[in-house]
Amino acid sequence: MLKTEELQINIGPQHPSTHGVFRMLVTVDGETLVDLKPVFGYLHRNHEQLGEVNTYLQNMPFTDRLDYFNSMVNNHAYARAVETLAGVEVPERAQYIRVIMDELSRILNHATAMGFMLGDMGAWQTALLWGMREREKILDMFEYVSGARMMCNYCRFGGVVRDIDDWFITELKKLMQGLPHYFDDFEGLLLNSEILLARARNIGVLPKELALAYSVTGPVLRGSGVAYDIRKAEPYAVYDRFKFKVPVGTVGDVYDRFLVRIAEMRESYKILEQAIEQLPDATGGFINPKVKQQSLKAPAGEAYARVESPKGELGFYLVSDGSGSAYRYKVRAPSFINLSSLADMCKGYSIADVVVILGSIDIVMGEVDR
Amino acid sequence: MADALTQLGFASWLSVLIASIIKVTLILVGGSVGMMFLTWYERRAISYMQDRRGPNRVGPQGLLQPISEAIKTMTKEDATPREADRIVHFLAPVVMLGATVLSFAVIPWGRMFPVDLNAAVLFVIATGGLHSIGMMMAGWGSNNKFALLGGMRGVAQLISYEIPQVMAIIPVVLMTGSMSLQKIVEAQNDFGGLGWFVFSPVGLLGFALFFTASLAEGERTPFDIPEADSEIIAGYMTEYSGMKFAVFYLSNYMSNLAVCFITATLYLGGGNGPGVDALGGFAGGLLSLIYFLLKSFALFFIMVLIRATVPRLRVDQLMGFAWKFLLPLVLVNILSASFWVALLRWDQQWPQLTEWFGAPSTADATNWGRLAIAVVLTLLINAGAVALIMRLTNRNVQKHLYTTDEELALGLS
Amino acid sequence: MTLSHLATEDVFVVERNDADFRAGQGMTKGLGIVFRKFRKALFGKPNSDRADTEGQFNVQYPEERLVLPEAYRNMPILLYDDATGHELCTSCFQCERICPPQVIHITQAKDPATGKPVPAAANFVLEYDTCMSCGYCAEVCPFDAIKMDHDFELSTGNHPELDVNYDRLLRPISYYEAIAPTMWSDVKEQAMKKLQNNIKRRPGAIGRDHGQKVKGGAAVAVAATPVAGAAPAAAAKPRGPVAAIGKNMPEEKVAKLISIRAANAAKRGGGDAGAAPVAEAAPIVETVVDTPAASAAPSGPVAAIGQNMSEDKRAKLEAIRAAKRAQRGE
Repeated sequence: MLKTEELQINIGPQHPSTHGVFRMLVTVDGETLVDLKPVFGYLHRNHEQLGEVNTYLQNMPFTDRLDYFNSMVNNHAYARAVETLAGVEVPERAQYIRVIMDELSRILNHATAMGFMLGDMGAWQTALLWGMREREKILDMFEYVSGARMMCNYCRFGGVVRDIDDWFITELKKLMQGLPHYFDDFEGLLLNSEILLARARNIGVLPKELALAYSVTGPVLRGSGVAYDIRKAEPYAVYDRFKFKVPVGTVGDVYDRFLVRIAEMRESYKILEQAIEQLPDATGGFINPKVKQQSLKAPAGEAYARVESPKGELGFYLVSDGSGSAYRYKVRAPSFINLSSLADMCKGYSIADVVVILGSIDIVMGEVDR
Repeated sequence: MADALTQLGFASWLSVLIASIIKVTLILVGGSVGMMFLTWYERRAISYMQDRRGPNRVGPQGLLQPISEAIKTMTKEDATPREADRIVHFLAPVVMLGATVLSFAVIPWGRMFPVDLNAAVLFVIATGGLHSIGMMMAGWGSNNKFALLGGMRGVAQLISYEIPQVMAIIPVVLMTGSMSLQKIVEAQNDFGGLGWFVFSPVGLLGFALFFTASLAEGERTPFDIPEADSEIIAGYMTEYSGMKFAVFYLSNYMSNLAVCFITATLYLGGGNGPGVDALGGFAGGLLSLIYFLLKSFALFFIMVLIRATVPRLRVDQLMGFAWKFLLPLVLVNILSASFWVALLRWDQQWPQLTEWFGAPSTADATNWGRLAIAVVLTLLINAGAVALIMRLTNRNVQKHLYTTDEELALGLS
Repeated sequence: MTLSHLATEDVFVVERNDADFRAGQGMTKGLGIVFRKFRKALFGKPNSDRADTEGQFNVQYPEERLVLPEAYRNMPILLYDDATGHELCTSCFQCERICPPQVIHITQAKDPATGKPVPAAANFVLEYDTCMSCGYCAEVCPFDAIKMDHDFELSTGNHPELDVNYDRLLRPISYYEAIAPTMWSDVKEQAMKKLQNNIKRRPGAIGRDHGQKVKGGAAVAVAATPVAGAAPAAAAKPRGPVAAIGKNMPEEKVAKLISIRAANAAKRGGGDAGAAPVAEAAPIVETVVDTPAASAAPSGPVAAIGQNMSEDKRAKLEAIRAAKRAQRGE
């Protein structure tokens, strides 16, 4: 038997497909991967420390920059954490608005994440640009209502900063007219394409037990066969009023995660339809008027609030000492936790699959490094 | 052209020399301009597929974009690694470009041939094979182990796909009876200029195989591992910058252009088309050139369409595709080509054919009976082979170093 | 371990395509879709409606521009009343307190006669390069004095230019009304009422003049140009370098400011204020160059001696450098 030597290769941090500044130390034996060590921290910006210095309101724009693709979701989760801590009530209309923004974020996240993964696989950005087209429409609407496309800074404690008006609803309905065509085109383009099947089936298998052991959440967990979705397990906002299903995979490979994300986009579409229909009128208000945003002082205690972000379970843990800013502020970032399973997902596969598997976890370095 | 010049009064050797120089210049200029047009064409076409407009700022409709890119590459620093083998590093792009330009010598532009060789097909195959040398020189001369690995993988890809590519031409040679490209073009002139080889089952399969193998030879998606920038092992072009990189790029696009031209010649009838013979003379030649260019650029459009749609194959899947799928099919195609030739043309070798089905076809009279039988038989053979080999080569199993239970048992996770 | 709180009808298993390889139907269908997109993009109409999913969706910037919504926020600006020329800012420091990256630096104006603070700002510096455009300053301002602008074409090669001071931040209310009409009309009444109250409490000479009478004179529309060519501002530290004197100030104001500064300089004993106040309204820049490089990095490259240094400082610096060179034995 020939004795082969193991070679250690460094992928990144400067690399077109590592989704940000991310480094992987990969040990290969021939073409097969033996070990993988993720190295990150290149984008560390001291977010949690800043959270102890800022007041609760001042920290909101910084949460935008965690998962910078889905700033609405980050804002929502953080607002919920502070509201739990301070015991603030949120009017119903604001809850519906938050749900609408979350689901729009989910659609745009999955569209771009899958587009990027297909770009990494070599399908020269066609699927990505179709997803970007839908994303542009959604970002225009975020800009209309919050003032910025990506760094939305939209939620406040007790509601949202600005109400949505008829223009928004009309445009949202128009946007939703076009979405099923996009879903069909995307599925037709790639889902049964032989080369995609060859590159995604049975690649990066994460078995159920390992997924649970690593506390992986989100589409990765659901792709591995565990039917867990926070929107159903611990419904927050007004999710218990909507009828939607949770897609689950069987094998836990890249292909399953793909399918789960497409199915989730369709379910988000259904939720949006129901939310627009059930949206209460403006009498309840879009923000709790009794809350003083800047001088909010939460009583001493702790709170943990989590939402189902498109990437997994996004949680904010706040410990308060009675003053206007947190004593301890911790972010449970889904990408960071999901990354711990990367090594096991990649072992035994070819080195060319690493990039594909990384793309299928869907990480964003703003969250991983904070 | 040489004769015309001799008539003008030049000495015979001088007229040949001048004619050759003119032809070489035309080819080099035409090839380069064609390549620049191709980059523009590809970028615009792929943009429309992605719901956007491509480059449209530099010049009218962005037609001068390739020139601005050329200026950009020429003004970049040309850095050679210190430990690199300077001569090899320098010569690699030269070899690749030289191989490509050489193959342009025999490509018929419509009905006009720069050089009419008897064994033009062999010449084309030979020059196509020089690419691998250039790639290996690039990988070796860079003194970078990743470039070397990338170069070796690229060479493996090129030589694996050369075999199906070459053997897919053999049916055409069989059907024509000659390796000269001019005769191949002439042989596709039946049925009012539409008797292209691609319309026969043998030619159809041959066309598909040749086109697929040429995609791989030209490093186009789905076979663009050597130049893929999202694969981690960098390609053989890593240590090249500036004009040398541009020469690699140039040779890549020119070879794709050459391949489109050759495919159009071999399978789509070259300059043949309705009306060329009728017009005759200069107008006919011009019309044949237009047909030729239309066919080639339509083929290139298909290449661009495939590039926009399809992800790339992994390197082991790529090799498996060449050796396990394409190679058996080309062999089967040669078999069915021989049946085709026998049924259509053999009367001396197999007199029973004449007894049963009548005389073989001539230029004026087509023997429809024999043609029908040939079509049906070759169709059955080809379709059957394709189905059988697909069934035999499907792979839905991934190799895994350890199974999950073993992993958990070993405590690896 | 039961993780699932889901009823079985809420879960559905995604359908995989585990079939063996087929004859390429999937790819052909994909090619067909892409070709259809190509056709529609090349020959169809552009993507103009949010319901469209085909056609080019480019906007040929800068010839075509998208209309920005009113709520769009990029960099704050300060408002002043067109009619009276008074700024709405009263230097209440709310925006400075709430700014998360702490980029706002306000100096409160004082009545020159009594020395008491008045509801006006003497200087207002905003570091555009660090501003996150979160919009909190605009949200919290009780006087609707600071609002978010829509201008995003702020690229410049001159970094100090991005520390924007009061003159360059001011815009007339008509400018803001043009970019955000409904947002302004919602708050116009209360803002103007508060402004009238504040004007009463401001002595006449304080407040920027924009070329017209200060005390409610004839209302003349003012062109909405910030002071172009104003000198790059330095950060408004309390005793640091002085801000430039604006070009459009009337004579008596310039004279007053000069006298105030001279009095301050005399109080401080001179020496470091090397700026020479000029009678014409030419921008003054005082750059007190502290050369840390000379002391910190003995053998590194030495920073150039500033042009505007006072003579004794220059001499002192030369002496230090000569001593260091002697020390190194050059």
